[in-house]
Amino acid sequence: MPERTFTALIVDDEALARALVREHLAEHPEVRVLAECRDGFEAVRCAAELKPDLLFLDIQMPQLDGFELLELLDPRPVVVFITAHDQHAIRAFEVHAVDYLLKPFSEERFAQALSRAKARCGKGPGPDPAALGASARAGAKLERLVVKDGVRVTLVPLGQIDYIQAQDDYVLLKTAGRGHLKQQTLASLEPRLDPGRFLRIHRSYILQLDRLARLERTPTESWVAVLRDGTRLPVSRSGRERLKQLLQEN
Amino acid sequence: MHPVLASRARLGTYLLAWAPGAALLSAQFLAQGWHLRQALAVAVPACMLGSVLFLSSWYLCRAAPPRAGRPWLLGVWAAAAGIMGLLWSGGVGCLLRLLQGLALLPAAPAGPSFTAPALLGLAATGAVFYLVTVAFHYLLIAQQQAEEAEHAGRDLRELAREAELKVLRAQLNPHFLFNSLNSISALTTIDPKGARRMCVLLAEFLRSSLRLGERETVSLAEELELVRTYLAIEQIRFGDRLRVDWAVDADAGCTEVPPLLLQPLVENAIKHGVAQLTGGGTVLIAVAVLPDRRVGIRVENARDPGQEAPAGLGMGLRQVRLRLRGRYGPGADFAAGARRDRFEVVLALPMEPAEVSHA
Repeated sequence: MPERTFTALIVDDEALARALVREHLAEHPEVRVLAECRDGFEAVRCAAELKPDLLFLDIQMPQLDGFELLELLDPRPVVVFITAHDQHAIRAFEVHAVDYLLKPFSEERFAQALSRAKARCGKGPGPDPAALGASARAGAKLERLVVKDGVRVTLVPLGQIDYIQAQDDYVLLKTAGRGHLKQQTLASLEPRLDPGRFLRIHRSYILQLDRLARLERTPTESWVAVLRDGTRLPVSRSGRERLKQLLQEN
Repeated sequence: MHPVLASRARLGTYLLAWAPGAALLSAQFLAQGWHLRQALAVAVPACMLGSVLFLSSWYLCRAAPPRAGRPWLLGVWAAAAGIMGLLWSGGVGCLLRLLQGLALLPAAPAGPSFTAPALLGLAATGAVFYLVTVAFHYLLIAQQQAEEAEHAGRDLRELAREAELKVLRAQLNPHFLFNSLNSISALTTIDPKGARRMCVLLAEFLRSSLRLGERETVSLAEELELVRTYLAIEQIRFGDRLRVDWAVDADAGCTEVPPLLLQPLVENAIKHGVAQLTGGGTVLIAVAVLPDRRVGIRVENARDPGQEAPAGLGMGLRQVRLRLRGRYGPGADFAAGARRDRFEVVLALPMEPAEVSHA
């Protein structure tokens, strides 16, 4: 039986670093490099079009970092992360048992990482990149969310979000009248947001607090949050408790 | 707590300052025809009463610190002095009665007494004493503020020294080092001569940053040379994505600056600017002698206008600002900010030619 072949993308903003990975891969004819990408946007486009098995992925890149890029890929290839020096990311890789290479790396180390990655191909999705990214950033505040609409990638700064609404497996990010649909659950997004800035006011809603104008009581004895732009969002009983607590603290 | 009561030394000074007051008051009583013993017997407790009563002026001083453009303060002081003077002279009148009631002094008409004009004169003296106490308290407040300012200055100097240490420790930015080694690793097969050149540049950069980092100050020309080497390394790593423009006034080169002052600025310009742009961008380094005989330094870089401008200064820029403040105080300026697709840091520092600073 002929050995299986694998397709790969090399994603790194530095030309020399890409050349180095390509050179190492030349020793492994079973891997075919489909393309090299210089930033996250290019990688999203290439991956959507070429559907590679493997991704050699630098973490620090222009536009999108390696974790944000992975969040946008579906299906998700098997990833070999490459980084020069990032203690938090390395700890995250160890925790999630993800393969990684430290620049500069030896031929042996490269071969080892590659064979592990090949073995994982077709074995189901790896760890959730959002969770991996969150632990790699080690408590650094999330500043933006990445959203993909077809092949179009949009960066949504958190400051622009009025509120976030759950829609099954998606979240709808509402910004000044526009909506961005992102594939993520509200429950997994909530812990990544700054609790002093965003508050879960309802099973299906997270509100950016400075957008709140007032709370109103409805004739049916429930509560409604009225935003500055007039939008009305339902507030659950526990949401109201949390709001009260937060307003008292301040 | 009242500052006079808070310290024994201050309380002693305050009470001692009342001694000439007691002498003055005794003289006033003698002039009214009292005997010396009688004058002292009234003046000493009167001053003790005054010293306690007039401590209250501290609250007035604290509530109304003297400042230019507050002429109404004079009115406040005069009114307070008048009221306190009257209060005190009334108190002294009562004191005399008390002493006479206890038969410690002979009763009027044989003994001492106050006529109405004498009481008013006493009130005037009290008002003067009160104003002196006000002045004393203002002095005390000024002294406290000076002490606090010195504390703050010491804290600032300490912070600056800490920042210096951090800079020296961070000279070998591991990220920079590992990325450079990775570039060399790639170049060994693609371009062996290039690999060797990069090794030499890296060694040069490490050696001179170690050497300069040991010194208190370095000439701006030396610092710029270090930056040149650093940029040459990064240009190999980033290829044509990193473009560098220089605009350096050679006259500024002899001025002395803290070592590794500019290198972190340039490192920032690459990390947060050029490295974030797929197509790369330009870093501009401009040095000029300013009309006020200071040296102006500008490090400007291209940035991604799609990214939100940073809210505050990052660690690197904060340290540079702290070092400048610690070394030059208000003599140096620091400004940093984003303008759409550019980010710039501007410094101005006093010209310090080498011979002066080594003197």
